[in-house]
Amino acid sequence: MKLCDFVRPRSIEEARRYLHDLGPGGIPIAGGTALHFLLDEKPVTAVDITRMGLDGITEIPGGYRIGATTPLADIQAYRAERWAFHEVCRRLATHQVRNISTLGGNICRVFPWADLPVALIALNATMVIRGDHEIKMSCDEYFQSQPARLFKNGDLLVAVEVPALGPHMGFGYKKEVKTSKGFSLMTGAAVLTLKDGVVQNARVAAGGAAPFPCRLPRVEEALKGNKAESEGFKSAVASGIDNINWKGREGLTDDYAQHLAGVVLCDVLERALTFAKERS
Amino acid sequence: MQTKDFKVVNKSVTKIDAMSLALGKPSYVADFKPEDTLYVKMLWSPHAHARITSIDISAAEKMPGVAGVLYHGNVPRVPHCTAGQGYPEPSPYDTFMFDTKVRYVGDRVAAVAAESPEIAEAAVKAIKVEYELLEPVLSIDAALKEGAPIIHDEPDCSIPIPVPYEPEKNIVARLGMEAGDFDAGMAAADFTFDHDYETPYAQHCPMETYVAMAQMDARDRLVITSSTQVPFHTRRLLALTLQIPVRRIRVIKPRIGGAFGSKQEFLLEDVIGMFALRTRRTVFWQFDRQENFRTGRTRHPIRFRIRSGVKKDGAITAMGMDAVSNTGAYGGHGLTVIGCCGSKVLPLYHCDNIHFDTKVVYTNLPVGGAYRGFGATQAFFAVEQQMDMMAEAIGMDPIAFRQRNHIKVGESSPVFAALGEGKEGVPMTIGSCGLGECITQGADAIDWSRYTPHTEKTGRYRRGLGMCCLMQGSSVPLIDMGSAHIKMNDDGSFNLHIGATDLGTGSDTILGQIAAEQLGVGIDKMIVYSSDTDMTPFDVGAYASSTTYLSGEATRKAAEKVFNQICQVGAEMLDLPVEEVVSEDEEIRAKDGSGSVSYADIALYSLYEKNQFQIQDTASHITHKSPPPFAAHFVEIEVDTFTGHVKLLKYVATVDCGTAINPKLAEGQTEGGVMNGISYALTEEYLFDEKGKMTNASLQHYHIFSLRDKPEMKTILVPSYEDTGPFGAKSVSEICINGAAPAIGNAIYNAIGVRMYSFPFTRERVWNAMREQGFARKS
Repeated sequence: MKLCDFVRPRSIEEARRYLHDLGPGGIPIAGGTALHFLLDEKPVTAVDITRMGLDGITEIPGGYRIGATTPLADIQAYRAERWAFHEVCRRLATHQVRNISTLGGNICRVFPWADLPVALIALNATMVIRGDHEIKMSCDEYFQSQPARLFKNGDLLVAVEVPALGPHMGFGYKKEVKTSKGFSLMTGAAVLTLKDGVVQNARVAAGGAAPFPCRLPRVEEALKGNKAESEGFKSAVASGIDNINWKGREGLTDDYAQHLAGVVLCDVLERALTFAKERS
Repeated sequence: MQTKDFKVVNKSVTKIDAMSLALGKPSYVADFKPEDTLYVKMLWSPHAHARITSIDISAAEKMPGVAGVLYHGNVPRVPHCTAGQGYPEPSPYDTFMFDTKVRYVGDRVAAVAAESPEIAEAAVKAIKVEYELLEPVLSIDAALKEGAPIIHDEPDCSIPIPVPYEPEKNIVARLGMEAGDFDAGMAAADFTFDHDYETPYAQHCPMETYVAMAQMDARDRLVITSSTQVPFHTRRLLALTLQIPVRRIRVIKPRIGGAFGSKQEFLLEDVIGMFALRTRRTVFWQFDRQENFRTGRTRHPIRFRIRSGVKKDGAITAMGMDAVSNTGAYGGHGLTVIGCCGSKVLPLYHCDNIHFDTKVVYTNLPVGGAYRGFGATQAFFAVEQQMDMMAEAIGMDPIAFRQRNHIKVGESSPVFAALGEGKEGVPMTIGSCGLGECITQGADAIDWSRYTPHTEKTGRYRRGLGMCCLMQGSSVPLIDMGSAHIKMNDDGSFNLHIGATDLGTGSDTILGQIAAEQLGVGIDKMIVYSSDTDMTPFDVGAYASSTTYLSGEATRKAAEKVFNQICQVGAEMLDLPVEEVVSEDEEIRAKDGSGSVSYADIALYSLYEKNQFQIQDTASHITHKSPPPFAAHFVEIEVDTFTGHVKLLKYVATVDCGTAINPKLAEGQTEGGVMNGISYALTEEYLFDEKGKMTNASLQHYHIFSLRDKPEMKTILVPSYEDTGPFGAKSVSEICINGAAPAIGNAIYNAIGVRMYSFPFTRERVWNAMREQGFARKS
């Protein structure tokens, strides 16, 4: 992407007008750290959306609302009851990048190695999009394919709502990398809802080794109604991931990527179980 | 060990350039670029092996802002090498500024100089080239196969020294030696071992990529400002390739932003020099990171077969190393690197029966070059793992086995005399060795008492301890030469001019310390300048772990001569014979306390008052031996047996570098080298597509360790005193990179009982080895 001009609107409406009028020649920019990965050399105008009050984390009934331009470092530093999302940001890129990279920037254009979509899918987040009206979209629908498809008319992602974790819920997250700043080889995330040691509900997601961050419904179904224990996790994962075209990155083979995915998913389920037990 | 009461040496003085670098003062090549500069961009070969059948530069030449285009049709064809080594070079002359053939993805096709990088880039795209594709040779086996495509089929390639060179067989060099009777040694052993190992490509990844600038001065001389480790070799090679006299060339080395061996190479100066001669303009060229990976030099991948025999009492009866090195498309450092696989490794342990047989082959892959460790890094991976295997077979602790066998003071090895660089070596007796103490202190630091065999380990995550011993050299004896010049100023300060090149190591500082110690002044009185072929005396450059030991002794000798002059003048001023004066606190004093004169008074006296002359002198130094620094490295790791992931928990690096001229800098060198070695062992990997193109040529996809990946690390300097070195010093810079791969390899075995014969130890490679070697998981 070749930035040739730069505008800084003061309101969401002004930004939307710019983006609408510029069409493919405009690009919303917050931290700008992902521009490096957009290899297209066509000239574009950057529409800076960082001065419109879209940053910050607030408690809302049933969860938290995170502004789209909230830097990852702020999310990493945030602490609250029944909140675990900071753990995800802690493992993302470098501190310098986290200071400027934003939540919205990470999930409006999703790269295969993206970590946040995996966690948000597991957490059952809701996306808040401002078009002519504000609409809310489930993360399942939002991440069905490249989210950039949703913003062609100048619409903007303005916030993400992350549900609070209930008392019998546990969150597990794991990312495999080569070096601390490396992109994900495999990312897994899971939220388990337990009752009397039995999985009542499960949301399990994977990325990195998957072609696109995705939910794993077959794993979830295999977990539900069964005891939350290691053997059950292993068999649910073993039976539920072979329909994915696992992709080895950074020199790993596809076969190994599938193996790694299996191990990581079992690990995140174990972590979710531990999380739930510790909070119950 | 000899101890000295040093005043400046062996003290951790602050690096003399630290503040200017911290403040961002102009220091590096790119900082000196004037506004009216031409920028160079290169059209690189997209093919691993092809002949250029036609090339049309007309469109590029006509583009506004383009100052010139170079290609094989408009430059002289001069065979040369790009390796910055002594003369005559132990390297084939197999390179041309531009050729009609391309030999790897990233080889030169045509260069453009233009008013901006963007115009140059656009002009490069306008050059039309047609290629006849040739079968690429993408492995050692393919290179040696009967009827393999010949990579250097040009008739004018040759090697300037009398050693075997067989380009028609894709063989760059053969090197070998025998001592004792290897077969008899194997027969006499209670246990014998025969294993193959393989080491991978790697790149140095300095922060500053290759960069150089060419200008014509007022006297029509070509001035090259280059980030080079070898300014004098660069001048010589540049004169050859441009066909102009050496006297018309000046090479200036400003501050270097890291090199690690990569800039012991001549990769840019011929092109910018030719453009400058033709345009009379300043010409600037800097590689981007991708170019640094693909076209820059790399560590030679080497395949080893190690055979060894050991008796039950721990005596090593035979040690054999067969090796084939892949030098890529050009021969450069092929011969000298493979030589160091033997010369810097095989002498470490007593053994009367030694076999060493190697060859270096061309392939259509990236070009190997000098890289910190220089062959020893690769060979220690193999030999130090085999040492552990031998120890295990005879039931001896790996530490005790090494303590029993390692070379000691007063001992020698036939390898020293047999293997030199491009010729026979030099016999040498070890004059200093702190390896025993290195092993002892390192074992304590890692708490080796916790060492238990892998058979006793259970669970998913298994911890292992590993260690290795290392040696290197200090300069190339009877080949390398360094010089220094010192002159005294009015205020009692001194200019130290050295050809040695500080590439970030801190050598300007430590050479200043050596001179200051000898002169009896503080480091604040030293003004150090390096390196400039017009202004500083000759030095081969910064390589072969030579700067402290070789250039340092040249500096000390020059300082000693200057000191003697100071004493003479001081005595004259005091009206005393020189025997009756002493130097103290930057004064010359009468021994009887009757008078004193300061260094500043002496300088003024000699410059202005009586018997006038400038107090100054020059010294050169060659070495008659290459005293090895020694090291023992220890590591603790944890293997995830579900994935094969190796997590580094702790690293202990001990080193005997003789007297550490600047302990903090020596520790810094060691920590940096260890981190580099860890990165090489665990994550760095050249990935190629089926046509020989590197597919991960960026720091995003080629993974090097950063501070955030650093494990708990302890560096221990174990002093010895090397009589032949300046104030007892040996080298420290290279040895530290050699330990990580073998130590981690041994630790993996100790953790899970799986032996790794290749690396990097990625998850998948370890996981595959576990499966291949029947790793049985116990709970």
